[in-house]
Amino acid sequence: MNPHVVLAVLIALGLIWTAGWATVLLRSPRAVPVETIQKSEARVRLVLLTSFAAIAIVLFILTLRRLPYQGTRIMELGPPPVTVAVTGAQWSWILSRTRVPEGVPIEFAVSARDVNHDFGLYDPRGRLVAQVQAMPGYTNRLVYVFPAPGTYTVRCLEYCGLAHDMMTTTFTVAEQ
Amino acid sequence: MGGQGAVLADEYTAGTPLLAPRRANGEVLRASMAYMVAGLGGFLVMGLLGLLMRLDQGGLMVIPPEWFYRLMTLHGAGMVASILLAGLGGLAAAVSATTRLSARVLWIALVVYLLGTGFVDLATLVGGFGAGWTILYPLPTHGFVWTMDSALAMYAGYLFVALGLLLFSAHMLYALARSHGGLTKVLALRYLFSGGRDERNALPRPPELIAAVISIDSIVAAAAGAVYLIPLFAQAAGIVGSVNALFAKNAVLLFGHTMANLSIYVTAGLVYAALPAFTGRAWRTTWPVVFAWDLIIVLMLINYSHHLYADFAQPIGLQLLAEIASYAVALPSFIVTIIGALALIYRSGIRWTAAPILLALGLWGWVFGGLGAVLDATIPVNQVMHNTMWVPAHFHTYYLLGAVAFAWGYLFYLVRALSNRGDARASRMAAWLYGIGGAGFIFMFFVAGANSVPRRYAVHLAQWQIYARIAVPFVVLLALSLAWLSWDIGARFKAAWRGTHDPTLES
Ligand SMILES: [Cu+2]
Repeated sequence: MNPHVVLAVLIALGLIWTAGWATVLLRSPRAVPVETIQKSEARVRLVLLTSFAAIAIVLFILTLRRLPYQGTRIMELGPPPVTVAVTGAQWSWILSRTRVPEGVPIEFAVSARDVNHDFGLYDPRGRLVAQVQAMPGYTNRLVYVFPAPGTYTVRCLEYCGLAHDMMTTTFTVAEQ
Repeated sequence: MGGQGAVLADEYTAGTPLLAPRRANGEVLRASMAYMVAGLGGFLVMGLLGLLMRLDQGGLMVIPPEWFYRLMTLHGAGMVASILLAGLGGLAAAVSATTRLSARVLWIALVVYLLGTGFVDLATLVGGFGAGWTILYPLPTHGFVWTMDSALAMYAGYLFVALGLLLFSAHMLYALARSHGGLTKVLALRYLFSGGRDERNALPRPPELIAAVISIDSIVAAAAGAVYLIPLFAQAAGIVGSVNALFAKNAVLLFGHTMANLSIYVTAGLVYAALPAFTGRAWRTTWPVVFAWDLIIVLMLINYSHHLYADFAQPIGLQLLAEIASYAVALPSFIVTIIGALALIYRSGIRWTAAPILLALGLWGWVFGGLGAVLDATIPVNQVMHNTMWVPAHFHTYYLLGAVAFAWGYLFYLVRALSNRGDARASRMAAWLYGIGGAGFIFMFFVAGANSVPRRYAVHLAQWQIYARIAVPFVVLLALSLAWLSWDIGARFKAAWRGTHDPTLES
């Protein structure tokens, strides 16, 4: 999922909403009896309700096919040949290996030693591509296929105290 | 006609029978105004902390990380507490037009609540506590730069805030149930389940229905707060060794997310109460209104876990339920409340003074923030947006251009009516500037989130600073408009306070 696309969707929907809102405001000064608009109000409600419900159902079904969770990912990609054990601790990351191949599913088995952290995976261009919480007492498994080689950065995305913003590390994705 | 009569039979309300008061109560109005002034005053101070944080993130000023995170913790906790308080005050005023509330209970609840905020001030400013307003276990006990005492002060603060909220809500529910002859009648359940055919009982007015809905969820939120805090106190006392991290996260979000959600729904109640006064059209309790608000009781309590999508340990069924609930809660709010409000405004002949401008801005922001929230509540989107600036983006929109705009709008309405003095012409301009400043400010959060800028970072990389820098002039615009709006309220406040002493109010 590209975050810029999400922003574009927000802007598009936001503009449609703003246009509707502004239209109502601009047409507010001239008074008509409330009875004359009640019918169209009910119609607008029904049209919006059915279209939004339809969009929500479609969105939900699409979601089911793109869940980031281990079971779904393995079903889609096959069992990951490479596992990287990741431990978050105030305020550093410990990775069992710092070189992984591109193009194959990599499983990050993520846990935390002290408090909650979040394993945020940034690509070489600085874009967040996947993430999973690092929690004390749990091992969360994130499966990801790196599409291109390069230096990736891990940033902590769950506030964890004084040096939270410095809790980063890097690793290399190598060409196959 | 003066006093309460003036509140409701204002020049705008002529011919709006819905708002005619059965019983008047100046004492309750004074308590309500104290809530609103404390809440909006708190909002202004917390907003200044926010400006400092944005200046730091833009690289325009350096706050040492230790202080940044203390201020961030205070800003978050203070904003949630302040905005909810302002909303509760407004709602008490709105409900008091038709329901007998006890001013004494309201004042006691206010004191308990403010005692809690005092503890939070002490914990952060003096004790150095900086674990974030979410006080996510076990960070409070792993701070290094703050003491266990400061964490305990923070817990105590939350406990008193929850207790104040509990008192307020329990009293509100009791008062509503008494005046309607039972809680099921306030929620119009018989009317709801008969599909709108069974009208034997008088229907609650929308502010009453909404007050009952938010009171129920407030009680649940306060209980969740207790469920969260008791193990933490027990751990601090050495009674239990550790608390399950996933359980703690669910409990704290049920508490915190519901608290934050409550603010917006409480203030939505203010729109139902005030907007008819400006449009001259009654907002009736129809079946969709009852259906939407009764449904929100449940949906508000299950959508919190969309903040746990990245917790892969959370059962997948709960993750999917959270997505469904997040979509579902948007529907009744938009279809019933937003469309209902727009229908009230459309070709109504409304006169655009400061109060309705602020209410209309709140409608805009509520929907825009909602769009951001619904996108983020979609699990694959959340994978690349969670805990980026997109998250503060959506709730700052809800708050600043939703709940707070509604609360200011309602206070303008109340002060206008009680003081019998209209707002200054310049306040209309200030209200619009509030919208422009707010929109620019929140939009930069969204842009930063879409560019993967993490939230809750004291130090921003050079390439991230641009978003905060562009936001700063918008914040300054916000500050200027708020200074004007506050001045305008302040200039008429004494007269409004005197207005509550009108003999026709005391019954
Ligand atoms: Cu961390």
